[in-house]
Amino acid sequence: MTSFFVGFCSFVIMVSITSLLAQKAGSSYTTSPLIALASIATSVVTNKVGPTFYNRNPRNLERLRIAWRPTGYHLEVPGREFWHKLLLEQSPHHVTAKIVHYSGLEVVTASTKEWAVKKFLYSTKDTSAFMNLARVFAQRCLESGISEVCCDLKPYPGGKVESFLFCMEEGGMTLAEPPRFKPHRPWHVDRPEKPWEVTE
Amino acid sequence: MAGPLLKLLVGDVSVLQIALVRYGHHIRGKPPGVARTLKQRLEEINYKDPSLNFKVDIGFPKPKPSRSKELKERIAIIKAVRSNPEIERLSRKKQLQVSLKEVKEEWLKTGGPFHIRRVARHYGVYDDLFGDAYFTPRVMLDVHYELNDESCFPVHRGNVIKPSEAATVPQVTYVSEPNSLWTLVLTNPDGHLTKQDAEYVHWFVGNIPGNDISQGEVVWNYLQPLPPRGTGFHRFVFILYKQEKRMDYTRLKEEGPCLQLEKRTFQTLEFYRERQDDITPAGLAFFQSDWDISITDFFHNTLNMEEPVFEYDFPEPYIRPQKWFPLRQPFNLYMDKHRDPKQVAKEYLMKKLKNVHPFKKPDPRPMFPNAFATDNKRLPSWLRVEMKKDRLGWGRINDF
Repeated sequence: MTSFFVGFCSFVIMVSITSLLAQKAGSSYTTSPLIALASIATSVVTNKVGPTFYNRNPRNLERLRIAWRPTGYHLEVPGREFWHKLLLEQSPHHVTAKIVHYSGLEVVTASTKEWAVKKFLYSTKDTSAFMNLARVFAQRCLESGISEVCCDLKPYPGGKVESFLFCMEEGGMTLAEPPRFKPHRPWHVDRPEKPWEVTE
Repeated sequence: MAGPLLKLLVGDVSVLQIALVRYGHHIRGKPPGVARTLKQRLEEINYKDPSLNFKVDIGFPKPKPSRSKELKERIAIIKAVRSNPEIERLSRKKQLQVSLKEVKEEWLKTGGPFHIRRVARHYGVYDDLFGDAYFTPRVMLDVHYELNDESCFPVHRGNVIKPSEAATVPQVTYVSEPNSLWTLVLTNPDGHLTKQDAEYVHWFVGNIPGNDISQGEVVWNYLQPLPPRGTGFHRFVFILYKQEKRMDYTRLKEEGPCLQLEKRTFQTLEFYRERQDDITPAGLAFFQSDWDISITDFFHNTLNMEEPVFEYDFPEPYIRPQKWFPLRQPFNLYMDKHRDPKQVAKEYLMKKLKNVHPFKKPDPRPMFPNAFATDNKRLPSWLRVEMKKDRLGWGRINDF
């Protein structure tokens, strides 16, 4: 049971330092790893740095693509292997879009039931409603820091849901989650680039 | 388990059927319909007593407008929209483009606070700043960073802003009565270099009259986000407190830019607990930030210290304990997993040093590495595969 929780509980990063000496003009550059680095006091300000750094942000690992996904449910349809998933609930009179986290929490929702959306729509269930809901929803998701979500919907060509997904993509959302980054092991063939080392 | 069935016939009736199967097992514990599911077992393990684990609302209550009046207005608006032929035509032709700005304004008045609270809970803002307390932001905080080239980076609830974009003091606006007093605090719960449970305060302005930040008393000067390299994304949370009366922050006050980061150590819970009768959290906005090249310059030039660089501490891979006779395992790959990494590194270094000349440039990499023959003597197949992999740059050689 404990191994099941390895990734699930590790929203706190335990990070160990591999320090590189400052690349100031003229100084030599060594790559020997040092532990428990204390800063050089050249002025009054002295700031100590601990050997390990803890980042409590629960969404950090998901952004770095290191976070655990609920694996092992591959015999189920729809699957559970995602961080955030897009759900579209259609009722006879309304439509609701949700971003759901694998823990069950609804992170961002937008619905034609809301007065803010209903006020401006002619109908709450036609294609225009879907398209405008997608625009509003995409804006809310991007403002909440979510831009890549897993999407299981397979819409009919030319339908309302297809228009919805098209407007979501236009609004800036990506409807597929990036693959999980697995740490480099000696027996792996490839060494894919680390997501946090990519600076565009 | 489809194996040959051995039927023992007694007379004309098959009494006993023994299935000859490989890897057969007996079921342990209760059968599937009776045993608890994984979900049930996890709920039992993670059970938290509701009388002990409950959250306290420390914010302002929901304003209750006159429902009948609101309903009348809304019905009138809906009737107007539904009878408008222009909107109907645009809707039918799928050309209706709702104004996102107006939708957002209306949303902030109606369901916005609840949605913001939900996202903040998802990001663990309440857990890490207040512990067992939470609040619903009733005052809409409009924070945005403006750069010299007139680009604007708004802060919403969790969007990513780079430290170079957040280097200067942001523009903060909110709706307030003219005679009210407010406190604005910007903290980073993730960035502390030494302690686990503490935050760094990046900006603290107290006793702000109305919504004029410049008239407020600056307790801590603005410091740009400082997420060290390799630590990922840090949250930076703006909280706006409404004050009942004029507060005395002289005990907390730090003069100057305050680059001594220990002096910026802050605990929102302790700060609020001491002053809970006089201040109430009313506004919330937060963004995420990660490392940027400008932080290296900031550490070197402004803080005059070496830049700390971190690497994520992945757990060690689980390798099954070594057996004397590992059946059906390729022996070289199996044994490589249990070798001393220093020994492996040494062997790769020796191989490399054989081809390195101290004074000449290294030979250029051949376009078809495996086109060159190996030594004349006959080599075992596994060794030939390893040599080919090294030449192609697959596998272990990438670590050295």
